[in-house]
Amino acid sequence: MKILGRNKLITPVIIQTLKTHPVILALIALLVIFSGLYPERFLTPLNFKTILRQFVTLTLFALGPSIVVVTGSLDLSYVGIWMLGGILVWLLMPILGMFSILVIPLLGLGTGLLIGVIQVKAKIPSFILTLSLLVTYSGLTATLSGGYPRSVRGYEFITATLIPYLLTAFLWSIPIIIVAVFIMKRTRIGTYLYAIGSNEEGARLAGINVDKYKILAFTLSGLFTGIGSIILYQHLGGSAPVELNLMTVVWPLVAIVLGGTPLIGGSGGPQRTILGALTFTVFYRGLYLSLLHPEMIQLLVGLLLIVSIVVSARGLKGVTIT
Amino acid sequence: MVTQMDASLVEVRGVSKTFDGVVRALDDVSIEARRNEIVGVVGENGAGKSTLMKILVGLYPPDKGELYYRGRRVPFPKNPKEAAKRGISIVYQEKGVISSLKVYQFLLLGHEDKYVKFSRLQIDKMKKHAREILEELHVKCDAEDFMYEPALSTQKMVEIARAILSVRLECGDDDITPIIILDEPTAPLTVEERRELFSDILNMKKNVSFIFVSHIIPEVMEFTDRVHVLRDGKLVAHYDLSEEKITEEDLFRAIVGRESSEYIYKPEVKRVVSEEVVLTVKNLTKNGCYYDISFDLHKGECIGIFGPAGSGKSEIIKTIAGLISFEGGVLIIRGQKVKADELPHVRLGRGIGYFSGETGKELFLNWPIVKNISIVNIEKILRKLIPVISFNAEKKMAEKIVQRMRISAPSVNTDCYSLSGGSKQKVSVGKWFERSPDIFLLEDPTIGIDVGAREDIYETTLEMNKNGTSMILVSDDPKEYSILCDKIMFVKDGRIQKVLSPEKFRKVMAT
Amino acid sequence: MAGLLLYREWFRRNMTTVGAMVFAIAIIAGFQVIIPSFLRYHGIITLVYAMSYFLIAALGLTFVIMMGSFDFSVVSLLKLAALICVLYIDKLGFLVIPLALLISVGFGFINGLLVTKFNVPSFMATLGVSIVVEGTALYLSKGFLHIMYDKTFRALATTFIAGLPSIFYWAMGIWIVSIFIAMCLPFGRRTYAVGGNLIGAGLSGINVARHRIYVFMLSGLLAGLAGVLYMAQLGGGSMEIGADMAIPLFASVVAGGTALTGGVGGPHRTLLGVIIITWIEAGMLMLAIGHDIQMVVFGLIAIGMSIATIDRRRIKIIK
Repeated sequence: MKILGRNKLITPVIIQTLKTHPVILALIALLVIFSGLYPERFLTPLNFKTILRQFVTLTLFALGPSIVVVTGSLDLSYVGIWMLGGILVWLLMPILGMFSILVIPLLGLGTGLLIGVIQVKAKIPSFILTLSLLVTYSGLTATLSGGYPRSVRGYEFITATLIPYLLTAFLWSIPIIIVAVFIMKRTRIGTYLYAIGSNEEGARLAGINVDKYKILAFTLSGLFTGIGSIILYQHLGGSAPVELNLMTVVWPLVAIVLGGTPLIGGSGGPQRTILGALTFTVFYRGLYLSLLHPEMIQLLVGLLLIVSIVVSARGLKGVTIT
Repeated sequence: MVTQMDASLVEVRGVSKTFDGVVRALDDVSIEARRNEIVGVVGENGAGKSTLMKILVGLYPPDKGELYYRGRRVPFPKNPKEAAKRGISIVYQEKGVISSLKVYQFLLLGHEDKYVKFSRLQIDKMKKHAREILEELHVKCDAEDFMYEPALSTQKMVEIARAILSVRLECGDDDITPIIILDEPTAPLTVEERRELFSDILNMKKNVSFIFVSHIIPEVMEFTDRVHVLRDGKLVAHYDLSEEKITEEDLFRAIVGRESSEYIYKPEVKRVVSEEVVLTVKNLTKNGCYYDISFDLHKGECIGIFGPAGSGKSEIIKTIAGLISFEGGVLIIRGQKVKADELPHVRLGRGIGYFSGETGKELFLNWPIVKNISIVNIEKILRKLIPVISFNAEKKMAEKIVQRMRISAPSVNTDCYSLSGGSKQKVSVGKWFERSPDIFLLEDPTIGIDVGAREDIYETTLEMNKNGTSMILVSDDPKEYSILCDKIMFVKDGRIQKVLSPEKFRKVMAT
Repeated sequence: MAGLLLYREWFRRNMTTVGAMVFAIAIIAGFQVIIPSFLRYHGIITLVYAMSYFLIAALGLTFVIMMGSFDFSVVSLLKLAALICVLYIDKLGFLVIPLALLISVGFGFINGLLVTKFNVPSFMATLGVSIVVEGTALYLSKGFLHIMYDKTFRALATTFIAGLPSIFYWAMGIWIVSIFIAMCLPFGRRTYAVGGNLIGAGLSGINVARHRIYVFMLSGLLAGLAGVLYMAQLGGGSMEIGADMAIPLFASVVAGGTALTGGVGGPHRTLLGVIIITWIEAGMLMLAIGHDIQMVVFGLIAIGMSIATIDRRRIKIIK
């Protein structure tokens, strides 16, 4: 029985959800462990606020690429869009005034479109393509910025407190998350993207215009990243960095894999990525509070990435891995 | 009484198709599918079956030909959607299933526009319609299952349901009789699953017509009402199985061709088979593929495993090669019991070489001939003192093989990509000839290649035989068995039925 | 007639290398015109210093790409090896070198294991490992800059022979050995085979899983070697090493003509790619073109050369 009812049928549903989303168990376990280890540091309002803040940042970065991962490809360009977008806002401020913030989603859209077209037409593996693009964007950013982070005033209203004690950035991110999940779960586009990730050739045989939808996936990814970056821009202080930090690229990947979206695609998606982002944020925050050396934390993050991939790749018998 | 015209659903007349001006895929072929029947289209690989089907569903346009739908002339469809409007839809042999989707999603894939409201999918409506058709066709699964959950035969049924649904949705009419093309539907299924699938299909015959494309003769005999036989792009026979008394051998002959004048080479050599046993198979079993297979292979002997497609012969030889693992029984190579899940390279170390006529699998197409030949013969081209490759030795070895096999290529450095099919096969056989394995496994060695190349390959394999290589042959061509084999095992439904000598085999084939 | 066909074959197969060579010559000529001192002695020394350790690392990556995989950890392993040398030279003397190499090979082994036993795509596996390696390097160095005082160690790379620093000879030697391995040893053939046709390689008797592990270990070894020599050359190191080296490294392998699809190219081609990349880099440096624009250029080259070298005949579905 898969109908949700206000009676004893809830328990099987919970168990079913836990079985298909094992990351929730990890999340609960982490919460329990950290609360047990140092309750005075972990169980404070400040800590939860920090977790929420970091969760928002991570989610806004990871939503877009998780759409691409569903199709079986990878998109590493998100940090590049954010950085370059940030500098473009600064550059265009004198000309476009307040509207210059809109350049970020436009950049995201254009980038996604470009990546999609090149990937489909030239058949370059997406990871190298998006990685190279990331590096290119980072170079452009540094050049245009002259090497210094440039902050822009005037967008404070984006993150001004609306509801006390609740992070406004979080409020803004809710509709974005909802739209992303809606697209993947409730529209034709989502169905087609899952199909392409599961069996690209079968999708083609079923009459789906695979090229068109792959390009769409990358475009959506860029667009979501771009829109999310608007929030991030102010959320992170009204500017974007000008130096590429590998961690900012890797963390969203960990969130995606941890959440349960396999790298070969076909299942998972934004709704799982949120869980992964939350779990990772708790994980990182807990380690940070343990006052471990930052290097150790980085090491553990790397291990977490490897372990989650290994665990999620366990079902990959017979698939050729290069 | 239903007249011929009424009963005819789809008919093609005089269809011809040539690719690149050279390859004659179809030559003046006419077939007809009628109401309430399953019509078979059979032939070897390369006979033109799949080209014909692709034309019917709009993937290619024909060069010549006419299409009649319910007796009226209509243009050929330009894409699968148009074909569906004409009531024609296809279930592909493989890669048709998208496992991560749910059944209702897969059933309606491509037709979401009929369930979309303000870009939102009406999932409840989709599930309802999905359940309706699943029930109508007695498909044993739930609309909310994931496609990977049900059994393979049920998945095939879902694919068929999808094809039927496509026709109904495109025509906007639930009462229309769809014509569903089943392209080799039973290939991945076990023996038991095939039975199930066919009984389900037979139940649908009242409302759906099927075009059954296959080369599994027993199935075609059992389940089709009429059969069209294609060979080399031409329609060579048409049998009405309800009226005429046709045997499996008749069908065999029609598919493969009776003329033996193609084969000029007559083996005169009396093969010397020694007492020494190099390979023993005892009660080898793999559920769903083959059961209780037992035989001994002697040194210098060539055993043929013959049977219709789906009999398990391909799985047996692949198991010995190490490409498939077995579940029960024992495999003994050179006196050593081997593990069920050994990898191919270990088998090669034991002296077993596997060659498949589908050269894409084992040739390195973007390598030149010379490297393809040397890769299995590395030890032979190393210098004496230090294990370094000697380019000279490598080149000489390749040149020797090219000459012996009469491979026509500008040089040994030509990339295998640019070689013709027959030449590719020869490179593959040539490299094994050089390697001279103790046990040589051949699967479909001469598939799709011309007479001359065939001859050269037979000559080479017979020579290998003479030099002491033991062989096992699996093929669709009966003539090969009588030329190459000392002993022929006939398998059906995964079991050995009888063992024949070449003379007896020829007699059986000739009747 | 056959001769003409052969020429056409050869040309098609080596088109990218020919193109790359033309491009390289154009670059060098161009720079020479703009910067008169480009090819003069001082300029050449700079180029050689930039090129040598880079080439060694690129050679390791070349083997992995030939095999159809990807190794993202080369740069991190280089860094770690360099740091190990500078941190422990006082305690261990010259034993730091085998130690550094051992550790790099060990991580290479882990890469191989992840890809073969655990079915992790090589890009991801090596990415994960590189993070772990970076973390280790960070932990060991504590973020500080460390200076290599040991003169003998530094002499490994900086001894001048016939006007060129010894690291150059190291690099050339390793290059020649790599070509030898790739062309003349069965190991090299097997690498091409695995990259050319995974199933076919198994059917030809190659223990694919074991070989892939070997190749990742080789890549680790060369990365470590590059790191050791880099430390000898530079004399000091911190976490800043190699931060931006990944893309230019990859670009140099692909620019030389070793395609991502695997089975083609090889170390002989990588020299060309390395020359192009490092000389562009050096030239841009001399022109005071910002490091960041260099990044842009390398990113574009990486994309462009990937497009040019991918063998589209073979791969139908690329994700």
